[in-house]
Amino acid sequence: MIPLSHYLIISAALFSIGVYAVLSKRNAIMILVGIEFMLNAAILNFVAFSKHDKFAASGQVFALFAIVLAAAAVAVSLAIILNVYKYYKTIDPTQIDKLRD
Amino acid sequence: MDTFTPETISLLALLAALMPLLSFGGILLVPGERNRGSFFSILNICTSLVLSVIVFIHVWQQSTVHQQIEWFTVGDWKFKAGILLNNLSALMLVLISLVATLVHIYSTKYMEGDPYIFRYWAYLGLFCFSMLGLVIADNLLLIYMFWELVGFSSYLLIGFWFTRDAAVQANKKAFIMNRLGDLGFLTGIMIIFAQFQTLDIALLFKDGGFVSHSLVQNGYWIFSSNQMPQMWLTFAGLAFFFGATAKSAQFPLHTWLPDAMEGPTSVSSLIHAATMVAAGVFLLARITPIFNSTVLTVIAIIGAFTAFMSATIALAQNDIKRILAFSTISQLGFMMLAIGVGAYASAIFHLVTHAFFKCLLFLAAGAVIHEMHHLKEKKALDFDHQDIRTMGGLRKFMPLTFITMVLASLALVGLPFTSGYLSKDAILIQAFEWADTKSIWAKLVPYSALFTSWLTAFYISRLIFKVFFGELKLNKAFTQQFSLHEAPGAMKYVLVTLAIFCLFPIFSSNPFHYEHAWIIEGLPVISGIARVNIFHTIIPITVNLAACFLIFIAYKWYAVAVKAPDFTNTPLFRFAENQWYFDTLYKNLFVDKVVALAKATFRFDKVVIDGIVNLMGDVGVLFAAISHWFDRKIVDGLVNGAGSLSKSIGNFARHFQTGRLQHYLVTMLLVVLTFFIIKYFSLAI
Amino acid sequence: MGIEQLVFYVFAVIVLASALLVVANKNLVRSIFLFFITLFSMAGLFVFALADFVAITQIVIYVGGVLVLMIFAFLLSNKHILDNPDNLKTGVIGLHHLPGILVAFLFFIVIVWSVSLAKVEQLEWIQHSGDNTLKPSDNTIHNIGINLMTRYLLPFEVVSVFLMMALIGAAHLARKERKP
Repeated sequence: MIPLSHYLIISAALFSIGVYAVLSKRNAIMILVGIEFMLNAAILNFVAFSKHDKFAASGQVFALFAIVLAAAAVAVSLAIILNVYKYYKTIDPTQIDKLRD
Repeated sequence: MDTFTPETISLLALLAALMPLLSFGGILLVPGERNRGSFFSILNICTSLVLSVIVFIHVWQQSTVHQQIEWFTVGDWKFKAGILLNNLSALMLVLISLVATLVHIYSTKYMEGDPYIFRYWAYLGLFCFSMLGLVIADNLLLIYMFWELVGFSSYLLIGFWFTRDAAVQANKKAFIMNRLGDLGFLTGIMIIFAQFQTLDIALLFKDGGFVSHSLVQNGYWIFSSNQMPQMWLTFAGLAFFFGATAKSAQFPLHTWLPDAMEGPTSVSSLIHAATMVAAGVFLLARITPIFNSTVLTVIAIIGAFTAFMSATIALAQNDIKRILAFSTISQLGFMMLAIGVGAYASAIFHLVTHAFFKCLLFLAAGAVIHEMHHLKEKKALDFDHQDIRTMGGLRKFMPLTFITMVLASLALVGLPFTSGYLSKDAILIQAFEWADTKSIWAKLVPYSALFTSWLTAFYISRLIFKVFFGELKLNKAFTQQFSLHEAPGAMKYVLVTLAIFCLFPIFSSNPFHYEHAWIIEGLPVISGIARVNIFHTIIPITVNLAACFLIFIAYKWYAVAVKAPDFTNTPLFRFAENQWYFDTLYKNLFVDKVVALAKATFRFDKVVIDGIVNLMGDVGVLFAAISHWFDRKIVDGLVNGAGSLSKSIGNFARHFQTGRLQHYLVTMLLVVLTFFIIKYFSLAI
Repeated sequence: MGIEQLVFYVFAVIVLASALLVVANKNLVRSIFLFFITLFSMAGLFVFALADFVAITQIVIYVGGVLVLMIFAFLLSNKHILDNPDNLKTGVIGLHHLPGILVAFLFFIVIVWSVSLAKVEQLEWIQHSGDNTLKPSDNTIHNIGINLMTRYLLPFEVVSVFLMMALIGAAHLARKERKP
């Protein structure tokens, strides 16, 4: 079977890619995508560990919850992004700097 | 009398001295009109006179009064001050207060109209106080103090009309020369103190006092446990004599007296004829035991020389007061001569008679000058009112003045029946006696004195004949007929009073024999005064005959309008007229050098000292500039730098607050990573 | 290496490649469609971890819900949203990308290192799991269902409340402002 560490490495890579997307994308929706990547990486981690947990199936249950919550998060985030766009007329996070010094 | 205990007598004497001081203080410190003070001063000086007479009555030929109080203490040595009243002091007290009173009365008329007369009365009071104090002081230090005060009052009075440049120069000259002499006096005091540890006159100079107990042995001057080389004794005597030279206008410090005639004539009569100049003689008479034979010889020689010199100068002067001034110097020389030959009593006797007739001469001359000055102002003419060449024939206008002046001149010449005859004879005869006991060169002294008295006769007759006889020269000069009037009342009475004192009865019952004069009897005599020699009869006769002859010649030359031989261009005449060129000599030797020194020090002070001070100032300014720069650049720089540092740090840190989400996230994640690495991987790294 | 592992690695490669393409792409629409592929491949990976129900749920919710929502969101709203400012920049890797790359790289390094240090295969509970290990023939749905209703009831209910909140919130946030 596939060793556990492989899953973990893949999830690490995916997480890093998500971090990159969050930190250097000029579009708010891309940032959202980045967040999704990170969440997905975490879910993969959960699932990988739950192979050794048949009775409680905690990993898989949590993975389900995570997916649901990610969906909710996306929904709300999109609503926020729409509002931000209404105010700033752009969704470039570099333009949204009203909270600066 | 029991009421006149020694304490009372000394108190009276002290009061007599203090009364004129009261007039000095009262007039100057109490403000009032500008012509105030005459009544007050006269009142004070009369009180002084009365007190002095009382003191005289109780002290003359009776026991000496000596009262002392403690004055100050130096270390464990107590210094006492007090009053010493013996024959000499009492006599001087009466003389001074009498002459001063007469001069005060005279001055009321003479100085009338002067705008600042209150100063005159005040200074006169100060002078009388210092002179009276000088004669009653009992130790050398007190005498020195009054000596200085007398010199200072003389300065004030000579320069009374200080708006005249000549008066200011004269009073400066008088004061400076007096100060020179005071150096001598002070040196003498110091030597005496070093040797005897006391300055008390009674202790030192009485019969059997310290000085008489000190002896000279093996070249040392020894007194109890102190000894010093013998030359100090001579030096002390010479030092005291030097002080007396300045005060009594002897050679070489005589040049101030002619210039002192710039003061009012009444002042000249009181100070520079009768009293102050006599202070030198008085001092020498007080301290006679200190002089050894060398010093006495020096005194005699200088006295004789001065007498001769000033008599020759008087021959060639034209100003009334100058002739009288040189006459004073000459007579003082006689007094010094008397002291030098040991005839102290004669010196004091001559001092007293001289005071009266010289004062009278000056006051009468003052009357003449006063009238000539009035004429000058009334007619608005331009001539020197003191020059005898402008006068003449004044006996018609001022008969009383004429008579009194003639009496005084006769006394000066020393003709019989006058008081001057007695005193002058005493000196001459005793001089010859003294010369007998010395070497052949000593004869020079009395013979020169003899010659001088003939010169005296000539110059004073010249004065009298030129002023009072003949025609008024002014008439010829201005081709008008002028007339003067007699002196006013107050002046007249004073002149008459003084004239009485010029005659012999006041002084002796016998007009020809000086030994019977009561003054001589009262004063200590060193050598016998009995007439030993045939000289004692020949000399007076010779002197008087020659004097009469000279008076006759003067009459022919000056009174009768015969052309007098004109000496004005001969070198001797010019030598005499320029006062033997002493003034020029002193000016070139001393005055110019001192003035140059003063100028040099002034320049030094200005350039160097001021330069240094200014340099200090500049250095201070430089320091100020440096610290200003320092404060501005460095201190302010530090402060501003701190401010700008915070500003730049702030500006730098501000760049982190971009407001951009992704930047914040980067920072946050980096921090988390760093924390993670440090916490969990520090061992591995 | 069996066929199973090979397929696994193919899926892994597809995940990572599409993820990289997602972030490297300048076009937003293309990125989202590539994201679509990534999610599918993730489902495949879940299957290999013997979590089949999770895989299905992933496809249904993530792809069919989240992704579609995203697409609808920008397609049905203003066109300017599609303007990618990245278009103006030159080069794939510009200077402003650098902090992102750096942090991502560091994260990768740190996580991989900690994984290697942790030696996850030698964990106690994994080694002694024996009976607890899933076998391919197991019925996971059954297990999940029972666990969800018994052991994880509270989180289940909370999540439902949370979903309701999210629903209300999103609806409120995105409402159209009534013009006065």
